[in-house]
Amino acid sequence: MSEQLNNQEDIQDVAEMETDELSTIDRCLTFESAGLILYISTNNVIEIINNHSITTLPLMPPYIKGIINLRGQILPVMDIQQRMGKGPTEFTGSACIIVLDIDSVSLGIIVDSVRQVMDIDLKNVRPIPLKHQQKLLNGMVTMEDGSVFMSIDCQALAVPQ
Amino acid sequence: MDNGMEGMLDTYLFETNSLLDRLDEMLMADEKIGDFSTDDVNEIFRIMHTIKGSSAMMEFSAMAEIAHHIEDMFFYIRDKGIDSLDPQHKKELFNLMFRSEDFLRGQVEKVESGEALDTDIDSFAADINNFLKKISGAPAEQPEENPAAEAPQTHPAALDHLPDDKEAVCFLHVFLEDGIGMENLRAYMIVNAVQECGIDLRYYPENMETDSSTAASIIEEGFFMAFTSEEDANKASDVLRTQNYIRSYELAAVPEPEPEPEVPPKEEPVKSAAPASAPKPAPAPKPAPAKQAAAPPVKQNLISVSLMRLDSLQNIVGEIVITESMVTSAPELNQLSRDAYDNFMKSARQLRKLTDDLQDISMSLRMVPISGVFQKMSRIVRDMKQKLNKDVRLTLIGEDTEIDKTIVDSIQDPIMHMVRNAMDHGIEDDPSERIALGKNPQGEIILSATHTSSEVVISISDDGKGMDPEKLLAKARDKGILTKPESEYSVKEALGLVMLPGFSTNQEVTEFSGRGVGMDVVKKNVESVGGVVSLASEYGKGTTFTMKIPLTMAIVDGMKVTVGNSIFTIPIANIRQSLKILPEDVIRDENDNEMLELMDSFYPVVRLHQFFNIDTDVTELSDGIVMWVETSDRSFCLFVDELVGEQQVVVKPFPAFLNYFELKNSGIAGCTILGDGNISIILDIQSLHSAALENA
Repeated sequence: MSEQLNNQEDIQDVAEMETDELSTIDRCLTFESAGLILYISTNNVIEIINNHSITTLPLMPPYIKGIINLRGQILPVMDIQQRMGKGPTEFTGSACIIVLDIDSVSLGIIVDSVRQVMDIDLKNVRPIPLKHQQKLLNGMVTMEDGSVFMSIDCQALAVPQ
Repeated sequence: MDNGMEGMLDTYLFETNSLLDRLDEMLMADEKIGDFSTDDVNEIFRIMHTIKGSSAMMEFSAMAEIAHHIEDMFFYIRDKGIDSLDPQHKKELFNLMFRSEDFLRGQVEKVESGEALDTDIDSFAADINNFLKKISGAPAEQPEENPAAEAPQTHPAALDHLPDDKEAVCFLHVFLEDGIGMENLRAYMIVNAVQECGIDLRYYPENMETDSSTAASIIEEGFFMAFTSEEDANKASDVLRTQNYIRSYELAAVPEPEPEPEVPPKEEPVKSAAPASAPKPAPAPKPAPAKQAAAPPVKQNLISVSLMRLDSLQNIVGEIVITESMVTSAPELNQLSRDAYDNFMKSARQLRKLTDDLQDISMSLRMVPISGVFQKMSRIVRDMKQKLNKDVRLTLIGEDTEIDKTIVDSIQDPIMHMVRNAMDHGIEDDPSERIALGKNPQGEIILSATHTSSEVVISISDDGKGMDPEKLLAKARDKGILTKPESEYSVKEALGLVMLPGFSTNQEVTEFSGRGVGMDVVKKNVESVGGVVSLASEYGKGTTFTMKIPLTMAIVDGMKVTVGNSIFTIPIANIRQSLKILPEDVIRDENDNEMLELMDSFYPVVRLHQFFNIDTDVTELSDGIVMWVETSDRSFCLFVDELVGEQQVVVKPFPAFLNYFELKNSGIAGCTILGDGNISIILDIQSLHSAALENA
């Protein structure tokens, strides 16, 4: 954990050095799913909820887990691990739902755990080499400590396949 | 009819005012950028078209005519593209449009205050036409005709009284505003202002500076400025635009000496441009002195609210109702002492009553009387009566019946279609046929709307020919849409053929009805709002169409059932019966499809858990419950685990994200939030039938 914090500080340092190009810095929420560390811009994140009972919908592809009642709003929930073609997310204590708003389409995604909010410099984001291309990911960034964060493609997420 | 007119007037005022507001908004925005966008041109065209139509219907001919001229103009502009106008023209167009808007507003205000409308609109109409001619590059033969045609009407005195000035090439004839006082001095000041700009002119009456008695003639006939060249006149008219107290002015060429063809076409629009600075446009509302007996003022008591806001209000109210029942049934309440509990329940009951009221009101907000639709039908009957030369009266019953706004929109076309059908095909062509049958020679169409507790029943009946089942069958045979031998069709089934796609009993397509896409479209429209259409007809006596439509689609009386862990809601309107059955009641066909015999007919069984792929322990038909359900013409049995109970539920559509999966075609209508916060899925029996049985 401490490593991560250092990491974040490093990134913030970088951010301070390049104050004149602030626009390339994006605040992102990082989380884990399918054994990857993923991030998504906080502009798209509404909230994080857990312990919600999900009502399953019949005749849906397996990655659509169903719908939840979020204070009167009906919200569809999808398992992004399954969406990426892997097995379903196991419901452990840390699993939770991130509520997203992508171009005013509301959507919940189930993830293994949520990490933290951090600044990521979009200039450092590299495209994913074709061989490893995932359906939902559209970029990767290497941290100081060598760990790799992947960017979720919001637009692809909002379009059911 | 008085009441009806008032209702229509209300709607008319409301509509016209909001259209004018929209127009104003658009003009202001466009003027800022100095250009019209193509969208706006289309929009203005539509606005004018609507105002023209509704004004003509209300018999406000002045407004209808002006709107008509503007519509024509925008039709041209739309056709050629706004870019075909040069900037100068655009500027004039703006001024002309603002003037038009003012004129229309003025008329609307008069309608509101019950005054008589202007009848003297010819000059304004001519202005618009001239502008149109100018931008369309029409030949310049107008010059002589226009001032001539226009002037005598507006100011009869104009040309006859041209002052005797031999050198003058053209005159500016200026009218001052009413009631400003000391007209002669004001006129002189205007002349001075023009002279100060270095323009050479003579003015008449010549002695107006000193002789105050000329004031009267200036009030009556205006005053003249005479110019030796048209250039001067043009400059002068520019100056006039900056002057106050001028009601209107016009340029008059001296007819004999030299009818300069170019002057007037150039000048006309300048005149129309004048009001930008001149306070009042010429034909602007000055109450006509010959007023008719003043009608009582009509105040507008309507506001427009977007349906989206009403929807969200309704959603919130739905939430409040649910939350309220969550609070009042919380288990923690049992820990209260007896007294405290009683007190709590007392307040809770009061809250209950208030939330019920709130719910009723929020529902009623969406309700509109059906009279608007019915009124349009009177109009259609009237028009068709003349065209078809049939003597028919339309009787309206229950115009005050209120239904949901969204439903009104979707039943207007079906009603219109059925009324047209009744006029066209129903009522006999020849009154003697009617007399021979002992009927009143005047045909009658009755349009009625009534409420039951959960439905609106709308019926359209005529006392005309009625339908001949034999003919219907023969027709259906020709079209090849019979599904069983002719002899097996009952009368009711034969009538039902009319509703099938591709069936039209009229041999020829007429102006009003009968394009072969008739009744099946009506049926589809009505079914889309959850209603049903039925038809009764007796040959020789007449035909009655009946539409039953649920009052609102937002709240449904539902029966909750469980399948595995899921809770489903079946609309009670669709349920015929729920039954427990024994294993030996089940009949199987060769494909092992299960059926039940109920009331001497066989009905297929749909196992909900199989269809929806839900895990459940209840798989034996005898362990669960069978719900016998039906929609308009389909009936079948649904097998579920358990019956939970009845509840009124607020229908919520699924989030947009899920539209992709076409839930509506797989038997799911929407979902609802139950009192405990869980979600229940509402079944759509109609589409469930097609998904589970027809495409299986």
